[in-house]
Amino acid sequence: MKKWPYDSVRDVDQAPVDRLRQFPREPDMLVSALRSLGALIIRGLLHVYNHFEIIGQQNLRTNRSLVIVANHCSHIDTLCLLAALPLRKLHSAFPAAASDYFFQSVPRLWTAAILVNAMPFARQGGIRQSLSLCRELLGHPGTILIIFPEGTRSVTGEVGEFKSGIGALVAGRDIAVVPCFINGSFQAWPKGKRFPRPRKIRLTVGTPRNYRDRGTDKIDICAIAAELRDTVIELGPANGSH
Amino acid sequence: MLPQIALHDPVFRAYFWIVLISLVIGGGVLGFLRFVLKNETASMFKTYWSWILIAGIGFIVVFLGRIPTIVGVTFLAIYAFKEFARASGLHRDSWMTNAVYAAIVTVGIASLVSDPRGGEQGTGWYGFFVAVPAFAIALILLIPILRNRARGELQRISLAIIGFVYIGWMFGHLGFMANSRNAYGFICYIIFAAGLTDVAAFTFGKIFGRHALRREISPNKTWEGALGALGVAMVLPWVLRFSFPFFGAWQLILTGLIVGIGGQLGDLSISVIKRDIGTKDMAATIPGHGGILDRIDSLVYAAPLFMHMTGYYYPLR
Repeated sequence: MKKWPYDSVRDVDQAPVDRLRQFPREPDMLVSALRSLGALIIRGLLHVYNHFEIIGQQNLRTNRSLVIVANHCSHIDTLCLLAALPLRKLHSAFPAAASDYFFQSVPRLWTAAILVNAMPFARQGGIRQSLSLCRELLGHPGTILIIFPEGTRSVTGEVGEFKSGIGALVAGRDIAVVPCFINGSFQAWPKGKRFPRPRKIRLTVGTPRNYRDRGTDKIDICAIAAELRDTVIELGPANGSH
Repeated sequence: MLPQIALHDPVFRAYFWIVLISLVIGGGVLGFLRFVLKNETASMFKTYWSWILIAGIGFIVVFLGRIPTIVGVTFLAIYAFKEFARASGLHRDSWMTNAVYAAIVTVGIASLVSDPRGGEQGTGWYGFFVAVPAFAIALILLIPILRNRARGELQRISLAIIGFVYIGWMFGHLGFMANSRNAYGFICYIIFAAGLTDVAAFTFGKIFGRHALRREISPNKTWEGALGALGVAMVLPWVLRFSFPFFGAWQLILTGLIVGIGGQLGDLSISVIKRDIGTKDMAATIPGHGGILDRIDSLVYAAPLFMHMTGYYYPLR
């Protein structure tokens, strides 16, 4: 009789906390249940406390893989974008989170890995590896990547320059990119404040774009990043779309 | 079993002091090894701290009463099965794992409710408790039929059945014992004796160990350790006779054999599973012990044997 192959999980010999640091994480019913429960509570709070409003939610209704790109000035941004997704998509939606900030201390790790389902993204060094991990994830249909191409939270509320990595990720590939603008999150919970304030937040979801027929050299990549930034800003309130 | 009863129960109070003194003695021996003999004890200390945590949580749960004890045992069984499923790969089949979770919860419910045909309140539904495996296996066999799948299913069915019957149901007996009039004596004794036997096997093996017990299964276990542990397990029922004052000599001998041999066989059984899968521990949940399943392995084997031995001679209530 031949030996049965046992398909053990990869992190069988790791302590529960270290399992959360791993990525991709092994699916875990307890973690998924906590995440769904947390998402319901966060959605409720956003609606009651921040009068959260979504415009253009139909642009997110697809079973294909997506990259969501948005401006970033608050931790609330991630929660807003997740709240715009259907609940069943929650476990295949990965906000890219700075690995140096979110994946070190244990309370942040819990929030990032359990609640937000974050993907650790190396801001210094290892960017190439992080991008190829993104591509690998997008290869599974139905994956949603949430990326803030500014790379950090804006301290003024203005939209900063987009890093060229976002261009490198989508140039020459058949990936739908959905630009989004989040308005009000800077007033609601700016960087450095301990607790969020009850300010209105409005999320505008743009129509999906595709950069399949663009080149992958440095100039094209930077151009795509700049174009995406313009598209995101156009969705904002200054351009009279509300 | 209620908190206010536990406070005045001589057996519960006695075990509180026995465990406390054992932990102090253990800590003293470890301290002596470390500070006087300058031995390398870092890993033993890690194990020791975890023992303190386990003892603390165990006492709080048993103190809180019958329902927390049964619920606690059920959660422990669920978690232990989860470790088994993750290590064996059954984890990837959510239908099977969910069916086993449901069956383990059913074991907990059967221990909590009383017989609907006029059973006394708080006595558990023994008839259903004993019958759960039949229903669980029926449910597990139903899954591939419902999903219209055959390839690789025998392996999944087998893993699910061993996972439920061994880890879920057999360990669930520990919770069912909370329904006994002598619950404190039975539960405290079996947990304490299984733990002490484990420590004895380790200690005797460390000091006198020469001959491998089962080289192919667990290379670190020795005949000397096993016989030393058996000796401790045989003496312990006589020393702690107040836990079950109605036991005769024959029952005390059987208790010693069940814990001394059964406990170590439980340890080896889990080792067989781990060895075949190819992992060292089932998980890394408890520092210095491995997974939950690595900790409760001897109880899984010994608790049901002990309960049914008792049930043969005395009414379980």
